[in-house]
Amino acid sequence: MFMIDSDNFLSYLTDNGFTLSTGVPCSYFKDLLLALEKDNRFTYIPATREDEAIGLASGYFLGGGRAFLIIQNSGLANIGDALTSLAQLYQIPLLVFVSYRGLESDKDSPEHVVMGDVTKPVLDAYQIPYWTIQEHNWKDVLDNALEVMEEIKKPICILVKKGVLGE
Amino acid sequence: MKGAEVISKLSTILDGEELVVSSNGNVSRQAYHLLQGDQFYIRGSMGLPVPIGLGLALAQPRRTVLVITGDGNFLMGLSAMTTVAYIKPDNLKIIILDNELYSTTGGQETVSSAIDFSIMIIGMGIDSVKSFDMRDDENLITEMLKDTIHKPGLKILHLKVEDDTIKVDDIPQHPTVIKDNFVKRL
Repeated sequence: MFMIDSDNFLSYLTDNGFTLSTGVPCSYFKDLLLALEKDNRFTYIPATREDEAIGLASGYFLGGGRAFLIIQNSGLANIGDALTSLAQLYQIPLLVFVSYRGLESDKDSPEHVVMGDVTKPVLDAYQIPYWTIQEHNWKDVLDNALEVMEEIKKPICILVKKGVLGE
Repeated sequence: MKGAEVISKLSTILDGEELVVSSNGNVSRQAYHLLQGDQFYIRGSMGLPVPIGLGLALAQPRRTVLVITGDGNFLMGLSAMTTVAYIKPDNLKIIILDNELYSTTGGQETVSSAIDFSIMIIGMGIDSVKSFDMRDDENLITEMLKDTIHKPGLKILHLKVEDDTIKVDDIPQHPTVIKDNFVKRL
């Protein structure tokens, strides 16, 4: 598998109006986060929790800005209330990149296994649309996902497997 | 002095340009009924008024952003204060109305009586925090609110207040209307 070039990826997000990023790191995003921290087109704010990051990005949106989030799928368990009673309730569009831990490549990390199994059911239960990106299709998938996000004015998730945006 | 009385007093000090974020429950209801202008009233997402205010302050650096929060709400999202300390936005003001209770849910105790808010927040590296007990002495309230809102820089004002027996009606607007009205002011 090939990795998405981080600079191309960030340029795409700049072209789509994103100027701030926040979240809690995952090693799957190691390369992207390194590029992000050096990139003066974005402010990156390391949040202490994923729900805090949803709040921060929502406030940024209310102020007229556009933010994307980077979190591990373990964080999906932390953002339930922030999604349902803030971002979905007030109709705040947010682009959330979520590492898809707990698949076969994580077989030595038991802490990720259950969340890996339930990641898609959790997103379905939250009524959050989601897509999976790979090196060969990420632009088309994101074009489509952002169109949906604009239409529904709600958060959407992009699942990212190992090796796509880091390690 | 009660929290609602502090919010009433605030309405005489705000100039109408400030962007106010209020925490879910009684605080937002009081802000809706007592403050002028379309502000951002949080209905759910307990613990998030501080990060919402921080995001707003970053997107609107020329506007003063004021977060009004109860103690239970503030403590739930306490770690967000460390992010505020890291960013130190000049235009963010936070007022903590501390009655040591989860008032909206019927007056159950919070843990705030155990905490020295000033020392805690100074420990985070924010030295512009002030803490006052308004339960016995209301004299300084106008001066403290003016200092918090009008003087430049990040300001945190922690006020011990009496249990809020002033009940106000719910906010009649749907959250999407709250958002749309708020966004129109920018």
